[in-house]
Amino acid sequence: MTTPAAATSESSHAASTTGAATARTGYAFSRFGALWTLFALTLRQHVRGKRWMIMGVLFLLPAGLAILIRSTTNEIYTVVPEFLLAWMFIPQVLLPLVALVYASGIIQDEQEEQTITYLLMRPTPKWAIYLVKLAATLVTTSVLVALFTAITYAAIFVGIDYSADNAAKTIDLAAATDRCLTTIGIHVLAVVAYSSLFGFLSIITRRTLVIGILYIALIEGITANMPFGIRLGTVIYYTRLIAYRAMDFVIQHRMGRVENLSAEAWQFDLKKDPHLLEHPDTATCLKTLLIASAAFAVLAAWQCARREFHVKTPEKE
Amino acid sequence: MHSPPQGQVARPAEVTAVVAFHEVSKWYGNVIGINKLSLEIRPGVTGLLGPNGAGKSTLLQLATGQLRPSQGTVRVLGEEPWNHAALNRRIGLCPEQDAFYEWMTGWDFVYTCARLSGMTRRDAHGSAQEAIAAVGMIGKERRAIRGYSRGMRQRIKLAQTLVHRPDVLFLDEPLTGTDPVARRDLMDIIQRLGREGKSVLVSSHVLHEVQSLTPNIVLINRGRLVAEGHVRQIRDLIDQHPHQIVVECRAYRQLAGRMLAWDDVEGVRVLESGRGVMVETRSPDAFYSRLPALSLEDGLAIEAVYSDDDNLEAVFKYLVNG
Repeated sequence: MTTPAAATSESSHAASTTGAATARTGYAFSRFGALWTLFALTLRQHVRGKRWMIMGVLFLLPAGLAILIRSTTNEIYTVVPEFLLAWMFIPQVLLPLVALVYASGIIQDEQEEQTITYLLMRPTPKWAIYLVKLAATLVTTSVLVALFTAITYAAIFVGIDYSADNAAKTIDLAAATDRCLTTIGIHVLAVVAYSSLFGFLSIITRRTLVIGILYIALIEGITANMPFGIRLGTVIYYTRLIAYRAMDFVIQHRMGRVENLSAEAWQFDLKKDPHLLEHPDTATCLKTLLIASAAFAVLAAWQCARREFHVKTPEKE
Repeated sequence: MHSPPQGQVARPAEVTAVVAFHEVSKWYGNVIGINKLSLEIRPGVTGLLGPNGAGKSTLLQLATGQLRPSQGTVRVLGEEPWNHAALNRRIGLCPEQDAFYEWMTGWDFVYTCARLSGMTRRDAHGSAQEAIAAVGMIGKERRAIRGYSRGMRQRIKLAQTLVHRPDVLFLDEPLTGTDPVARRDLMDIIQRLGREGKSVLVSSHVLHEVQSLTPNIVLINRGRLVAEGHVRQIRDLIDQHPHQIVVECRAYRQLAGRMLAWDDVEGVRVLESGRGVMVETRSPDAFYSRLPALSLEDGLAIEAVYSDDDNLEAVFKYLVNG
């Protein structure tokens, strides 16, 4: 019997180093080219899929609601639909949902469609496959979020009466554009954090959608709205803090009464802590979200490198 | 080295193994996929034969580094394939599953695989062209894969295996579901790869397919090595049993009439599904060799040909029980 060690030394095929392999393959190897192709392939898969159409329809809901509100009354302060749609509905429902829908499929889609073999049989390590596909997913979700957030803002602010008579109820278009860009920035940050989290979940469990929906409903939906320390473990808490400090959602009523929509809805106790000194500052919020996203991405990539990916074969079926 | 009960013919010891399994086991929970298997595959074309569920796909997935052995060591070209992405530049796998990026054209698919292998645009372009030509898909490569016939899908799948010019090829049931003409073409391609110096391990559950490709055969069943060596000895065993072959064809009555006229056909039975016939023969080689002509000349559109496992299973039982 020829031992494996002997095989290594004797075989004309058996070049034992990667360098030797490079020499024998007969083509110039481009690591960047391979990764870029995988990135582009993932983007093409996203464009081809029906997900973006479904998410697009969902994302048009806030814009549709804004148009509905505008068509029924002129007496409303624009900050109200802005806050309710762009800062309650989108972050609470749509951002985690779009992240869940795309990130849960980073590897699982390839596995279910049995195309993962074509990726695993290439000279790209599994951790790199995951990270590149995650990067493409972040681009897709960020573009979707930016686009539809802009549409929502357009539906609220474009064509509104900016005359002096209405000045107390609205802001000018330049200010609205600034607020829109700030909102897009924070929403993109949130969707990156959610995508990294759900991407990690999809590597450690096949029930990502169920667990993800429970997470969105229970953790981000309920605990984030409670005035307790437990909300420090949610994405939405940090995005709200950043938004609270970067934008104001205040209504000056004619009788002089001031109403702070965000403080009330987001459970910030302004009587006890008017400057939110007990809460993390903006830089800490940004760092927390970015570090958490990076940590989940690294953990998922590490887990991906260790995992076997089984595909259904006709035998197994 | 493991000594199978029967059917083994020693091959020259000086020829070095391209693929080596040493006491390899693979468990899926409580299910054993591969059981203490030791095996060496040498350069050239080798047939990996076993009934469905024998562990062929598991063995190929272990060899291509998609699965990690629970026990023992696997070496391909002297290196352990598990988590060894760089080795993938020198090996190619044609997977069993009929899965593709359906929205791609054949060209796009093969070119993308070349680029995923790290080829530059220029190299990938040339290599994709060569691979598509090698599998006889020139002129059809710009059509969407979703519109391909089964034979075309198998060919394009083989093209992605070849596109990065690997030294060792693992082909998992590459002939499954193909019509006789595509089958003959694919066999020619595989044999040509062997002649060109590639090492090819091709799995099948049909002995006669493998026998047409190579005399070097490895038989596995229930995750164990049953026999390895020259096909002649294995054929001697299998030919003691009538061989059952299913031929799917819409004009099955006409087909049955033609086949009954052949001396080596002992019986023809119409399938309950009405989609074809089950033929019983003691000369499967002669039977298979006539099928392409029947399909081409008589215009009988044979849709699929496959052998029932029962006979092979009987041989495995015979070999295992001594």
